[in-house]
Amino acid sequence: MNLATPRITASFLDQFAHQTVRILGKVTELRGDQATVDAGGAISVVLNREAHLQLNHGVEIVGKVQNDLSIKCLVALDWGPAAAITLVEFTHRYREIFYGES
Amino acid sequence: MLIPLAVESDEQRRHKRTRKRGILVGWGGVVGDNNYSTTSYSAGGGGGGGGFVQGGSQTSPAAQRTSRNDTLRPVTVKQLIDAQVPHHDQPFQIDGADVGQVTLVGQVRNVSVQTTNTTYRIDDGTGTIEVKQWQDAEGDNSMKPKIAENSYVRAWGNLKSFNDKKHIGAHIIRPVEDFNEVNYHLLEATAVHLHFTRGPPNGAKAQQTNASGYGQQAQQGGYAGNGMSNMNGGGSGLPSGFSAAASKVYTFLKNTPQTNEGLHRDEIAHSLGMEINEVARAGDDLLSGGQIFTTVDDYTWAPLETD
Repeated sequence: MNLATPRITASFLDQFAHQTVRILGKVTELRGDQATVDAGGAISVVLNREAHLQLNHGVEIVGKVQNDLSIKCLVALDWGPAAAITLVEFTHRYREIFYGES
Repeated sequence: MLIPLAVESDEQRRHKRTRKRGILVGWGGVVGDNNYSTTSYSAGGGGGGGGFVQGGSQTSPAAQRTSRNDTLRPVTVKQLIDAQVPHHDQPFQIDGADVGQVTLVGQVRNVSVQTTNTTYRIDDGTGTIEVKQWQDAEGDNSMKPKIAENSYVRAWGNLKSFNDKKHIGAHIIRPVEDFNEVNYHLLEATAVHLHFTRGPPNGAKAQQTNASGYGQQAQQGGYAGNGMSNMNGGGSGLPSGFSAAASKVYTFLKNTPQTNEGLHRDEIAHSLGMEINEVARAGDDLLSGGQIFTTVDDYTWAPLETD
């Protein structure tokens, strides 16, 4: 009933196609409405109007994984220059309190 | 992990006192020990004389009731949504433990200011839940931090249910300033979840072993001198107030492989190199203290299993 937005890294992308996910990474490239974010590997992000990304800042993006494994941004939140820790593995290992059923 | 809040009601304080007194006047032995052996926290010996335990014990309903209001548990929204009420009129449970205060970290999706309260929709990636904060009676909200949509906040409060819809009645909501707090909170919630589902980490088990080692040494030195506070220090499970000889006999009875008939007095004396009358006196103490019982005859004893 409640929509979860699993926290993922680049290596999880193909398992979460067409789902809304959360990625936390570092902005490595900015070109107009396109950005590349490093979250355990490069992820390309299609930005929306409200997103204000800054190069080399940590950013958390809630977005939908597209067919080509890029992410269509719904919400972007600047985490500042210091934050770029990508820590997601444990949320999938202990899915019972995060996303999964079992 | 479970941080007791400073605030405790008069009723709780009275309750604690009564329990302490109960143990001091003597029903400590078996009942008290039982509490300790099932409580992960006091295994290290820090529990003191009181029977007041923090959340860990499943066997003592009294202890559970006490712990309900003064624990603070870090949770994910999914855990709150999955929380169940085991019986009517009882508090919510997560991982089989009563839920007292909870704290969560999430992103604000929506802020709705009403006349009596402000409702925030909070999304932590595992689900969303409404967090209601009642308006201050004085109407002085200037002290409250400003909370913007899409920003991260930490909230403290109680899980409530209204018309089958869960929400958090929040005491405090504040913005997250260091984003490490988000990961930290998720890790902390995981740690507490694992604590309740799998027991304490190995560190606590090692502590338990140490505690029993300490008990053995203490017995050599004489148990009688140890105060009430050492009640749970002995790995033998023997309460204080027994002589060194009694402790020695009791530990021997507990640790020696035997049939359910137990061991004869002479055998114990021989194995421990003690005088027969010394063992007899120790046995009398242990019998009257309810720690051992006689089996085939008056001189054959078996330890009472307290676990």
